[in-house]
Amino acid sequence: MIETGEQVNFFTSFFKNIFTGGFEWSEFVRQCYEIGFRSFTLVGITSFIMGVVLTLQSRPTLVKFGASSMLPVMVCVSIVREIGPVITAIICAGKISSGIGAELGSMKVTEQIDAMDVSGANPMQYLVVTRILAATLMIPLLTLMGDVLGLFGGFLAVNLGDHTSWTLYFHKCVNSIGFTDLLPAFIKTIFFGFAVGFVGCYKGYNSNSGTASVGIAANSAVVSASLWIFFLDVVAVQITQLLFY
Amino acid sequence: MEHAKKDTGKSKKTADNIKDEIVIDMRNLRKSFGTKDVLKDVSLKLKRGENLVILGRSGQGKSVAIKCIVGMLIQDAGTLKVFGDEVADMDTTELKELRTKVGFLFQSGALYDSMSVRENLEFPLTRVLKIHDESELESRVKEVLEAVGLSDAIDKMPADLSGGMRKRVGLARTLIVKPEIMLYDEPTTGLDPITSREISELILQMQEKYKTSSIIITHDMECAEITADRLIVLNEGEFVAEGSYNELEKSDSEFVRSFFK
Repeated sequence: MIETGEQVNFFTSFFKNIFTGGFEWSEFVRQCYEIGFRSFTLVGITSFIMGVVLTLQSRPTLVKFGASSMLPVMVCVSIVREIGPVITAIICAGKISSGIGAELGSMKVTEQIDAMDVSGANPMQYLVVTRILAATLMIPLLTLMGDVLGLFGGFLAVNLGDHTSWTLYFHKCVNSIGFTDLLPAFIKTIFFGFAVGFVGCYKGYNSNSGTASVGIAANSAVVSASLWIFFLDVVAVQITQLLFY
Repeated sequence: MEHAKKDTGKSKKTADNIKDEIVIDMRNLRKSFGTKDVLKDVSLKLKRGENLVILGRSGQGKSVAIKCIVGMLIQDAGTLKVFGDEVADMDTTELKELRTKVGFLFQSGALYDSMSVRENLEFPLTRVLKIHDESELESRVKEVLEAVGLSDAIDKMPADLSGGMRKRVGLARTLIVKPEIMLYDEPTTGLDPITSREISELILQMQEKYKTSSIIITHDMECAEITADRLIVLNEGEFVAEGSYNELEKSDSEFVRSFFK
């Protein structure tokens, strides 16, 4: 209960600080680079492999039912609706949330946050607002990029079993998804991004003194962010079902 | 007192600079964490231009007292006025304004380790004083780095600096906004005796150059001897003795004298 109250306070403080005082544009851009560009390779490779594995695992079942031509459609819908957003967000929880938790936790332990605060500068604006907004912006973009690479992986795997042209594969993929697939999936990635940034910042900013607390902050950031992603996913799926199906 | 000044080279100018104006007035301050009473009925006054050293064993509430002065902690009871205004009653804007006038040097220096020395020094100028003119930033950074004797370190990262250099840069970052009061939290801890002496002398030089009033928390008696106009001894959350270095050295209290051995 106390932690929930603290999280609400932290959220309120974050929200206030977006609109008060000067926005730290240079730090925001730096964080976009750190969070977005530096996660590009990991997310890209993982998504590509997930596309390959998903296709290879699905093929035998579809062949059994004589529906192997549906393989591109199934892969595309799975990646765009669910696997792409969730896998990207979980990877980012492991990489970004823990990174932010450890960085801010370390700054807390070495009194850097206190020094910033006591100098009259605003650490919430400089450290927290920029990181949360950068994660909220970059994780949806990483997901889009991951989806595309996942589909490339799927195309590669489809061609391991039989020959399908890129045009046919692409055509089937594009025709299989619509606005009701793309929009809810994209919107939920914004919430995933926010959760990754928020949890990392909250855990790091509120870590205790002592070096052990840096590890605890990083670890609990990953665990909490992952749980939040699954929880938000369930809510998002329910809302999507209610609104679109 | 005179003997201490003669030995350490502490100039009489420092004592002459002390004025009657009270800049910090702490009365009957109490602060507890859970069931532990860290400060019990603590009172002190700091005059403009004065260097006040607080001595005490670890965990006796010295840092808590100075954290209350800048509003990082709020007292449970008692009054604490800085420049005549009660800190506990200040809103965010007033607190921010106070913090531009009161500099705080942390024990570790607390340099922002993702930024170079130049960026560390520019940070309070751009964020607090809202100075964005490149030439003014450059001149203020160079001036303060020259004052602490680290002009060559301007583009170094904190990880490349020694403990003493970090303390100097930390001091420079605090002084760059030209505070009227400086709070030093164990400025010589973890340094070798030569560097400790250099930092203590630097504190004195900076006080003379920037005309600050200071509270210095330390266990280092050489630092206390070099910097102090007046000393206060804190034990179990209460001030138990007050006086000049020489007076306390000859105190009747065994506890007080134990610091000087």
